[in-house]
Amino acid sequence: MFFLYNLERRVTLHPSYFGKNMHELVTGKLLKDVEGTCTGSYYIISIMDTFDISEGRILPGSGLAEFTVGYRAVVWRPFKGETVDAVVVSVNQHGFFAEAGPLRIFVSTHLIPQDIKWDPNATPPQFTNNEDTTIEVGTHVRVKILGTRAEVGELWAIGSIKEDYLGTLQV
Amino acid sequence: MSDPRDYHDAESEEEDDFNPAPADMSDDEIKGDAEEDEGDNRPAAKESAAARKRPATTPHHDDDEDEDENANEGGEGDQEEGEGDDDDDDEEEEDEDEEIQGHRRKRRRDKRNAFFDIEAEVDDEDEPEDDEEAEAENEGFIEQEEPGDFGEAGRLESDRRHRELDLQRDRMNHEDLQKEAESFVRKYGHRRHARGMGDTSVVPQRLLLPSVDDPTIWGVRCKEGKEREVVYSITKRIQEKMGTKDELGITAAFERGGPNSIMKGLIYVEAYRQTDILQALDGMLNVYPRTRLLLVDIKEMPDLLRVQKTPTLEPGAWVRLKRPLKYAGDLAQVQDITENGLDVRVRFIPRLDYGVRDESGTNADGKRKRPIMGPKPPQKLFSEVEARKRNPRNLTGNPQTNVWTYNGDQFEGGFLVKDIKIQHLTVSDVNPSLEEVTRFTSGGEDGVENIDLKSLAASLRDSNATTAYLPNDVVEVYEGEQKGVIGKATKVQADIVTLEVTEGELAGQTIDVPTKGLRKRFQLGDHVKVIGGSRYRDELGMVVKISEDRVTLLTDQTNTEITVFSKDLREASDIAGQGSLGQYSLLDLVQLDPTTVGCIVKVDRESLVVLDQNGDTRQIMPSQIANKLPKRKLAVAADRTGSEIRPDDVIKEYGGMGRQGKIIHIHRSYVFCHTHQTTENAGIFVSRVSSVSTISAKGGRINAASSGPDLDTMNPAKKLNPVGKNDMPPPRQVFGRDKLVGQTVTIRKGGWKGLLGRVKDTTDTHARVELHTKSKVISVPKTDLMVRDSVSGREIKNYENRRPGGPNGTPTRPQERAAPDWNGGSRTPIAASSARTPAWKTPSGGGAGGRTPAWGKGGDGGRTPAWADGSRTVNPYDGSRTAYGSGSRTPAWSSGGSKTPAHDFGSKTPAYGGSGGGGGGGDAWGSKTPYGASAATPGVSATDAWGYTPGAGGSSNAYDAPTPGANLLGAPTPGALNAPTPGAYNAPTPGAPTPGGGWQSGWGAESAPTPAAAAPTPGASGGGYYGAPTPGAYTADTPGPRYTDDD
Repeated sequence: MFFLYNLERRVTLHPSYFGKNMHELVTGKLLKDVEGTCTGSYYIISIMDTFDISEGRILPGSGLAEFTVGYRAVVWRPFKGETVDAVVVSVNQHGFFAEAGPLRIFVSTHLIPQDIKWDPNATPPQFTNNEDTTIEVGTHVRVKILGTRAEVGELWAIGSIKEDYLGTLQV
Repeated sequence: MSDPRDYHDAESEEEDDFNPAPADMSDDEIKGDAEEDEGDNRPAAKESAAARKRPATTPHHDDDEDEDENANEGGEGDQEEGEGDDDDDDEEEEDEDEEIQGHRRKRRRDKRNAFFDIEAEVDDEDEPEDDEEAEAENEGFIEQEEPGDFGEAGRLESDRRHRELDLQRDRMNHEDLQKEAESFVRKYGHRRHARGMGDTSVVPQRLLLPSVDDPTIWGVRCKEGKEREVVYSITKRIQEKMGTKDELGITAAFERGGPNSIMKGLIYVEAYRQTDILQALDGMLNVYPRTRLLLVDIKEMPDLLRVQKTPTLEPGAWVRLKRPLKYAGDLAQVQDITENGLDVRVRFIPRLDYGVRDESGTNADGKRKRPIMGPKPPQKLFSEVEARKRNPRNLTGNPQTNVWTYNGDQFEGGFLVKDIKIQHLTVSDVNPSLEEVTRFTSGGEDGVENIDLKSLAASLRDSNATTAYLPNDVVEVYEGEQKGVIGKATKVQADIVTLEVTEGELAGQTIDVPTKGLRKRFQLGDHVKVIGGSRYRDELGMVVKISEDRVTLLTDQTNTEITVFSKDLREASDIAGQGSLGQYSLLDLVQLDPTTVGCIVKVDRESLVVLDQNGDTRQIMPSQIANKLPKRKLAVAADRTGSEIRPDDVIKEYGGMGRQGKIIHIHRSYVFCHTHQTTENAGIFVSRVSSVSTISAKGGRINAASSGPDLDTMNPAKKLNPVGKNDMPPPRQVFGRDKLVGQTVTIRKGGWKGLLGRVKDTTDTHARVELHTKSKVISVPKTDLMVRDSVSGREIKNYENRRPGGPNGTPTRPQERAAPDWNGGSRTPIAASSARTPAWKTPSGGGAGGRTPAWGKGGDGGRTPAWADGSRTVNPYDGSRTAYGSGSRTPAWSSGGSKTPAHDFGSKTPAYGGSGGGGGGGDAWGSKTPYGASAATPGVSATDAWGYTPGAGGSSNAYDAPTPGANLLGAPTPGALNAPTPGAYNAPTPGAPTPGGGWQSGWGAESAPTPAAAAPTPGASGGGYYGAPTPGAYTADTPGPRYTDDD
């Protein structure tokens, strides 16, 4: 789910940047540092604006100036039970991996309807029920997130398509 | 007969049909029939009719008949009444019973009465099926009736007589029945009473407790393990002696043996007298009644009989062997349990060495050998081949069923099957590990895994007592009264868990539940950790499937699915922890031996799996690791295209499997990368640096020089005056003849100040000057010299600069600094010579103009572009620097184009910029390649390394010397420049050098510094001693194209 979230971050600036456009530099550095990162439970998708850049404080020792910047960002947090659309990126006999933006989702065979079976002989290998559903690399699927796990710098999720209205999306 | 009542009727009809035919009566009837048969058949018909009528007309008789029925039916009736109540007075009870019954029957018969007059029809109607035969009979009778015509009176008479007879007979019958009933009552009456009591009464248990009047129980010693056998033989003896004159006086015998009972070695016998026991057990095996008998206290008797739930072994359960000693501790599977519950047929993996040691256990003389102690042979399925090879005599069996007998043991499907006493088995706390269990299943002939997880679960559950339930565990009750309750454990005490119910009706309540019936509850997607005895211990994963108490999870580390029991799981935080063993954790880079490093791809409990630099995986112990290589965040390598790669960059293999991954380690020329594409080796693969190419650099860095703050991009100061710090200075040129040698100079400082002289020799800093005034050669610092024109005596500024190799720190420097024009000039040779050349020349105007070109050509001017281009073209970084090569920068060396305007020389340096009117010239400069080509073409000095630059060719420098242009101003230069490079330099070129004085005027001091500077040279010193080199150099030099542009 997407949120507009007020966050705060400390940005340090090298002394050589000190000058009248420091705030721009701070903002630029903030964008560079923060956008597209994962903090553990959510991804920072985009920074809308910064609203509060504190006075810089020189850090003893390094000479860097530290600014505390308040900013507003669009964040995305995947929730358990949330349904997302994703693109299949790899398929193996244990299930398939799909990506919903930056989030990788694994759908185990246990969480795929019984009638959709692993077909290793197809090219490319796929899950199929020999009717309307075929899951292979590149397929668009609608997945319900069952659990998430945070790793350093990324999130992981397992999902299910074993419910009504889940599964492949007709393009 | 859809109506149930009708059915009843049919039933009663049948009853009626046979009930009134007790033996005596039927005799009568037969007699009667016989009598009447002789005369007439009709009475028989009457008889039958009467028989039918009778029950209805004689209710009393009916009662009797019921009585009769009861008596006849015996057991059935007894039972009925017995069920009724346990009243002593059977008669009364019977009456009641009969009343009920009578009523029932009456009802039925009344019904039938209604039809009696038109019997045939009614019967027909009412019971069509049943009476079909009867109808046939009746018809027969009727037919018989008709022929004989006795008249109405006769018929009535006969009827009456028959009735009389019937009554009489009934009466007799009734008496008989009464008597009989009485006799039955006499016979069975009391029994009914007893039964009633036993069956129905609910006697409070305390009243059933033994009292002093009851027989006493004695404990009798017997052989341990034979308790049950003794009891069996006692029962057998009782049966034998039953009914004989020496019946046994004991009333009961039982045992409380069992492998773990404290009462083993004892049987208990109940008898009134001790002597009865002695008698009964006399001469019996394994029991010792002569030893002291233990009298069981009355109070303890009930306890003795209390039923204790013994652990039941079921086929399929897992046990451990205690004996035979060779197999002590081995896992075995129960196949069957003998009836007496003492022996268990178990199946386990044999430990055979096929006669390597004598296994028969006996010596040749038949004596039992002491078992050889020593290492047990390893567990291995029985191999018929081995046995046949080593010890064929002892082997019998059937290859079809794969059942063999070897040395007296039976082997089925490779397993040893043996009957073993329960006491030689460990039944509880078996804790079979999955590996052990798997060995049993993998032996299946079809190889299909068919682990009976249920029995495994049961075996494991026995040891459940030790399962740790911790507060806050979500648990579910799956057994017992509270089955289905879900709650959160709040307190755990021994094996009692206090739950706070969270779901269902009981929500909010707190209940205590024994752990036995509890299991932990998880939900799909939960992040869990494996604890406990499973071999997957310490794995983390997410739950993907739950069935009963088996949970399937997807492990974090390897992305594989494993199934464990929920009791072995604990909820983990959603943060993935990476496995670690001691100081080594997943994905660490470790040194295996001096030449090998590896990346840890799996961490087990005691070992690690490492992917080494050659792409092999090996399992090692932590002790085999030499040391752990700290992660080098700043490691840099160049990929196959020369781009720099660092940890966390995404790269793709070139060729090979084309895997794509994120770099986690760079070690020498190897990169260890992580990919999500595969789960093999935890997604780690190793590749050579030279076979990968970068896809995206972390944080969008494209070859940023350092990982520190990129000061160039944002530092405003740098933006203002972007002196490319990347720009490499031109190589120092310390060789060649110093131009100063031979020049006429004046000394500016010191004791010799003002004297004129001629430089004889120079070092880096000093010149030896031969004074004109005095025949003496003195050594003077170069900085103190002023070069003068040998003819005119005019001062030539910047002369020293001709010596390009002069280090920045050379004494010339201060002077340069002093003169504004020099400022640029000093740098020019090094970095931005060409760009600045004009700059410094400009101000100098006419005064120093003469020199400018000279130095520009000879020193740097000529070379700068040459070097710029030449050096760059060959530069390996060429690709990345191409930008420099672009038109604007090339001549300037460091974005000369941009600088030039800054210096306000824009107009004068159009050629440099590659812009302006002389686009052609600019172009030529712009792209080195054409330049280089064209430069080379002149052939001026093709062989020379510097030769390809026209400037070099033109210059009079030592290394430029070979070029013809060095000597002559006009002649060689144009040749060098124009002839070969018309395309490159464009037509204007010829004009450039040639004009000589012509352009000198044309070019204002400011407008075209270079030409201006150049102008004097040819003009002033066309034949001057240094004139020659200058023009040559100059013409060859950049300026040529430059001012052609301007033109």
